[in-house]
Amino acid sequence: MKSFFRTMLLATSASAVLFSCTDLEEELVGEITTAVSVSAPASSGGAGGGGDALAGAYAQLRNSGTANHFGYFSLNGIASDEMAIAAKGGDWYDGGVLIEVHQHTYTPTNGMVGSAWNGQYGAIGSINDAIANLGLDNAQTAQMRALRAYFYWRLLDMFGSVKIVTAPGQTASQSNPQQVFDFIESELLATLGITAVTSSMDLSTSPLGLDNNTYRINRFAAMGMLAKLYLNSEAYTGVAKFQEAHDAADYIIANGPYRLSDSSVSVPNLGKRPSVDSDPDNLTGYAAIFAPNNEGNPEHIFSVNYDEATGGGMNFAKMTLHYSSQFTWNFQDQPWNGYAALEDFYNSYDDNDLRKANNFIVGPQLDFGGSAVLDYASDDGDPPLNYTPRINELQPNSLREAGARLGKFSFQQFGRPDQNNDFPIVRLGDIHLIRAEAAARANSNWNHPTTLADVNAIRARAGVSAMTNITADDFLAERGREMFQETSRRTDLIRFGKWTSAWWEKPVEADDHTALFPIPFEQIQAGDGLSQNPGY
Amino acid sequence: MKKNQFKAFLSALLFFVGVGMYAQSVSGTVTSEDGPLPGATVVVKGTANGTTTDFDGNFTIAASADAILEVSFVGFTTQEVAVGGQDQITITLATDNELEEVVVTGYGSQRQKEITSAVVKVDAEDFNKGNINDASQLLQGKVAGLQVYNRGGDPNAAATIRLRGISTVGANAQPLVVIDGVIGASLANVDPSDIESINVLKDGSAAAIYGSRGSSGVILVTTKSGKEGKVQFNYNGQLGVTSALNTVDIMTAQEFVAAGGTDLGSDTDWVDEVTRQALTTIHNFSAAGGHGDTSYRISANFRDVEGVLISSDFQQFNTRLNFTTKALNDKLTINFNSALTKREQNNGSSESMKYAVLYNPTAPIYGVDSPYQFASEQFGGYFETLGLFDSYNPVSIANQQINKGDKTEVNYSVNLNYKVSDAITVNGNFANQVSKYSNKLYNPTTLLRGGNATSPLRKGLAEFYDQTYSFKLAELYGNYNANFGNTKLVLTAGYSFQQQNFEDHFTSLGDFPDNSLDYINAVEYSQDLLNAGLIGANSNKSPDDRIIAFFGRANVTIDDAIFINASIRREGSTKLGADEQWGIFPAIGVGVDLNKYLNTGADKFKVRVGYGVTGALPGPNGLSQQIRNFTYDGGQGGGSSSPSRDANPTLKWEEKAETNLGIEYRKGKWDATLDLYTRDISDFILERTVDVTLYPTGRRFENAGKLNTKGVELALNYEVNDMYTTGLVLSSYSTTLDEYVLDAEMRANLGAPGQNATAVVRVKQGEEIGQIWGPVFEGVSGGNPVFADINGDGQVIAAQDKALDDNVDMQELGNGIPDLELGWTNQIAFGDWTINAFFRGAFGHSLVNTFRAFYEPRLSTQGSYNFVNTELAQDGLTTARFSSLYVEKADFFKLDNLTVTRNFDMSNSDAFDSIQVSLNAQNPLVFTSYTGLDPEPALIDIGEDGRGADVLSPGLDRRNSYFASRSFTLGVNIKF
Repeated sequence: MKSFFRTMLLATSASAVLFSCTDLEEELVGEITTAVSVSAPASSGGAGGGGDALAGAYAQLRNSGTANHFGYFSLNGIASDEMAIAAKGGDWYDGGVLIEVHQHTYTPTNGMVGSAWNGQYGAIGSINDAIANLGLDNAQTAQMRALRAYFYWRLLDMFGSVKIVTAPGQTASQSNPQQVFDFIESELLATLGITAVTSSMDLSTSPLGLDNNTYRINRFAAMGMLAKLYLNSEAYTGVAKFQEAHDAADYIIANGPYRLSDSSVSVPNLGKRPSVDSDPDNLTGYAAIFAPNNEGNPEHIFSVNYDEATGGGMNFAKMTLHYSSQFTWNFQDQPWNGYAALEDFYNSYDDNDLRKANNFIVGPQLDFGGSAVLDYASDDGDPPLNYTPRINELQPNSLREAGARLGKFSFQQFGRPDQNNDFPIVRLGDIHLIRAEAAARANSNWNHPTTLADVNAIRARAGVSAMTNITADDFLAERGREMFQETSRRTDLIRFGKWTSAWWEKPVEADDHTALFPIPFEQIQAGDGLSQNPGY
Repeated sequence: MKKNQFKAFLSALLFFVGVGMYAQSVSGTVTSEDGPLPGATVVVKGTANGTTTDFDGNFTIAASADAILEVSFVGFTTQEVAVGGQDQITITLATDNELEEVVVTGYGSQRQKEITSAVVKVDAEDFNKGNINDASQLLQGKVAGLQVYNRGGDPNAAATIRLRGISTVGANAQPLVVIDGVIGASLANVDPSDIESINVLKDGSAAAIYGSRGSSGVILVTTKSGKEGKVQFNYNGQLGVTSALNTVDIMTAQEFVAAGGTDLGSDTDWVDEVTRQALTTIHNFSAAGGHGDTSYRISANFRDVEGVLISSDFQQFNTRLNFTTKALNDKLTINFNSALTKREQNNGSSESMKYAVLYNPTAPIYGVDSPYQFASEQFGGYFETLGLFDSYNPVSIANQQINKGDKTEVNYSVNLNYKVSDAITVNGNFANQVSKYSNKLYNPTTLLRGGNATSPLRKGLAEFYDQTYSFKLAELYGNYNANFGNTKLVLTAGYSFQQQNFEDHFTSLGDFPDNSLDYINAVEYSQDLLNAGLIGANSNKSPDDRIIAFFGRANVTIDDAIFINASIRREGSTKLGADEQWGIFPAIGVGVDLNKYLNTGADKFKVRVGYGVTGALPGPNGLSQQIRNFTYDGGQGGGSSSPSRDANPTLKWEEKAETNLGIEYRKGKWDATLDLYTRDISDFILERTVDVTLYPTGRRFENAGKLNTKGVELALNYEVNDMYTTGLVLSSYSTTLDEYVLDAEMRANLGAPGQNATAVVRVKQGEEIGQIWGPVFEGVSGGNPVFADINGDGQVIAAQDKALDDNVDMQELGNGIPDLELGWTNQIAFGDWTINAFFRGAFGHSLVNTFRAFYEPRLSTQGSYNFVNTELAQDGLTTARFSSLYVEKADFFKLDNLTVTRNFDMSNSDAFDSIQVSLNAQNPLVFTSYTGLDPEPALIDIGEDGRGADVLSPGLDRRNSYFASRSFTLGVNIKF
């Protein structure tokens, strides 16, 4: 027995020496596990400027569902009267989610609602991480706070009562809409170095810069966010702040280096088919704002930097186009035949409105060589693909060719799965309309001179005649035509009291509880202390 | 005969020597039921004085009048006889099947009767026969509670192996494989023909000695080795033919046109076009022998196997060397094992099978037969229905896509066993294993699916993948044996060090000018190089993933009838959170041979109880750590990192505690083993949705809940007569989710087209797992399905995304886990003929038939796809929506394996020792009402892309399943 233990002791100690027996530290050499940032030399900066410590946080604009399927864009888009995804036989039913969103019958388990919530908090988490771990300077921290405020604005707009978290790992209780509003306002004001928006404010102490780099938040971008917040203040908190909205928008127009993208602004048409003569060589004016090569457009104040190789996340071509439209643009991926504009919305444009041709794809389609694009499974047995503005039904058997398609962010030849078009978050056209509406509402006069001037500036650029007498409904329609596909419509319908009205296959609603989406079921289950919005 | 003569000579010699040395001698005869036993050992107890019986079973030994003789012989119970003054003794030995039945149990072996846990040994002669290329399939249906399912017949897919159902959630659910004592060895590196026996450690008390890797069961493989004597050569050859057993019922071209489908003028049986009568050729050679203390076996195995899908096959060469010798006055036994496997495979694309089902049956194969003008050359001559979603010519994929895999596996192990004294032995195990796999995939510029053939400029895609896995093992352990009166004690203590390294690299790039270049040597012509951001590249490395363990065990045998086995293992792993790296895995088992104390009249009556704790390690590394992404900003070179997965430093061992009660009974021709067990899997590890306000990535790995499984297993054998023996293996279990981080959750999304947000398996706290959940189909109205108003509130809420809402009209539509599984062996021997018939069945489980769910409704908008057309098809249904309509009972009973063997008498041949010829059929008869491809239970959900492995969502028959197959194999075995 003794010799046994002696042997074992020897064996154990020998092996201990051999294999350093208690070293269990895990080293992940295939992953990044600590905060890293690399700044590119300033001279390497192009339109987007050099990469820096903020890149990861700004990338969250792409990751948070801004221009792809089943997140922020989808939820806000198909819940409005701009667009819908109709079920086509078995296709696009998807558990009923898409129909529920369009008809406002969503419940807390709706996956799209959950995805929209998670996208924004994911972004906020990255921003909190950057502030805490990346050693930012004052100006950078201010940008991060403004960007975070923007994401909280999205949450306020969609969900109302949310948790405000400002540091990694911080626990928080749920704030009410007024508290969330106050937080966003105070953060944006702080980054602008002011305590209130007035007609005579002085931004000289703002840590934010004045550089015209549209991928970074400067003073005008932060001011634009404030303008949007104030415009909707009444809808969020019951307290109207239209004068503040006016002053914020006015400041940008008066002081910013931006101008409307009119007929003097032109970029090469990357979607042109050489053998199709009707394709223009250049995209001009309104179309240039959204083109695949729209970086540096003079109307962009703050935009999301999408890139087919380094900044993926814009998939409009796949989301909206019919499968066969692949041959018009020679896309690498086959499209999905999903999103289409509602017929009434399409018809709200005059035929000579330049925006109509840019925003929608309708009619017979031609391929790269100029021949008709064919759909051998066409419902009418007539193979040539022809997009009709009319959609026969929301479900269950919408026709494959039904519906004008979303063409605002136009497509380029040989397009990759991800698009190159930058997505404007704050742009001057929107700022003009905010000023117009704020002036009208602050003065209870839809024909206020500022309103008329701004609206007609936008209309002139679109090639349509000036308005002389405007009603609230006219204004909403005009705003709709201008802002289509830019995730503004749902907020606008709520602000104009039209959210519960009937349109197409969406019935009228008994109350307006659906103006806020339900807090996602998964998050109520996973997190502490989240209570559901009223009505769910 | 020679051996016996030699032994007789030896006995005689000893006899004379004995007579010469001892004056007092006792003589006797040792017999068995069948007559005298030559070569039996007779020893005077407590001395070194012994002899063996002669040819007639006689012996003479010097012994005092009060001495006790111990008489023993292989295969018989040892008997002690007091001399008691007699000088002529006749001793009859009773046969004892258990005596020699030594069972390998991990860091040692025990006699069968000493085992206190559920351990099943399957010997080579009981293995499944025929076209078997994966060692786990040798056991399919043979061991109660062991589920081996290879859905379909993909020659390159590994079987799913589950022991007693769900054993772990987030971790590797494949059992731990131990080959010749080497933990974690690769089953793919053993040719099935080299296996001598396989032991399956079913319950926790047996597996606990393997600690953190034992939860999913332990399979101990013993390979064949050489024996002393002349060199024995063995050749085993097989020639097999495999064909598709069952395909999805679809419309013919005529039916399709009649149903309103788009007529493209041809009549093509796509399934027929992508499948074939596949040939399998197997050759195994081995040479084994030994001389003195040295023995060896060397084998070479060739397999050339075609899959039923025209583009899938593999060729494999495997060789194995087993060498044993002794040194240091026979105190040191050295065993060396080495194997090499070289495999080249064509993976094929299971998508060609999916598209063969749903492709328009009136479409031509080649573009020249197109009903309209078609640019065939752009698609390599093949026809394509352009502009349809998810519709590709399956023949074009099968013939044009290159998807080659290349695998090399090498392992070697050395076992040193040093006998310090009679009581103490020390063992060292050292093993090394390296696996390399590389895959080359090319979608040519003329392939529509994945090759983007429609584009004028950008087409073709090449993908390169290679991985290297290596594993090192070093173990030291000692055994101490002692006897105290009627108590026998074996103590074991040891140390184990395991280290894995993994590394892989992936590159993809595309857009080649045309197919005239061999892409592998011409990647420099990829247009993606012009825009470097479009080249996909990925590499991973997880180095020095270590396990360190200390273990000890005590085996106590009292009165040769009461057996107590206790073990403990303390183990640490790099994979767990920094604060929770170490775990303790105890086990205890008690067994009693009741036959010794109760007069039951049985040949065996043993009861055993075992309790043991095992663990399960998560698959990936770094689960406890935060992981970050790096974002470059607009390609400018700068950028920053942000979190992509949240840390969990308190992530701890997933533990499985199992209690097993076993009863073993044998009487006359009956032999039965009954096992009852209950097990709790606690702290199972799962990546789950977390509070995004706290954890911005929204997902992290957590210890998420607790599962309880209760089960029963019965193995029955009956010897009907001398010619016919039969055996039945039955098992049943059910698993309940006792605790979960969420109250309920829907899993297993059906997918595109149109059935996203359509998760069909409900997981709910406090309820059984495997619930397929959805609305109940009642009929068709206006082309739409009508669902039952289950809660009777007058409105029907049946959208699948609301499945967890309170007022929803849904219920359990079936369960993915079978209630009862059965294996039934029959062996009939007469003369030189043997017939083995093995039946297998599973009952009570359901499957979601996804082919039907997507393609059976007569969608007007999909008139260019073929329709699935089973007897369950509903007239007039024109929308596809998940419901009970697509959930089918998948009970089956099949003749799984039928083998007829003829032995040829070679006793007069100088050239051959034996020749055996066999004919085997796999899957010759299947009885099921399931309309899909294969009624085998789907224990894990492979997901929409076929790459998943979700154990919480059983019951989905996915669209990318390989067709089930039927094989006929002719085999010959020659020993010389």
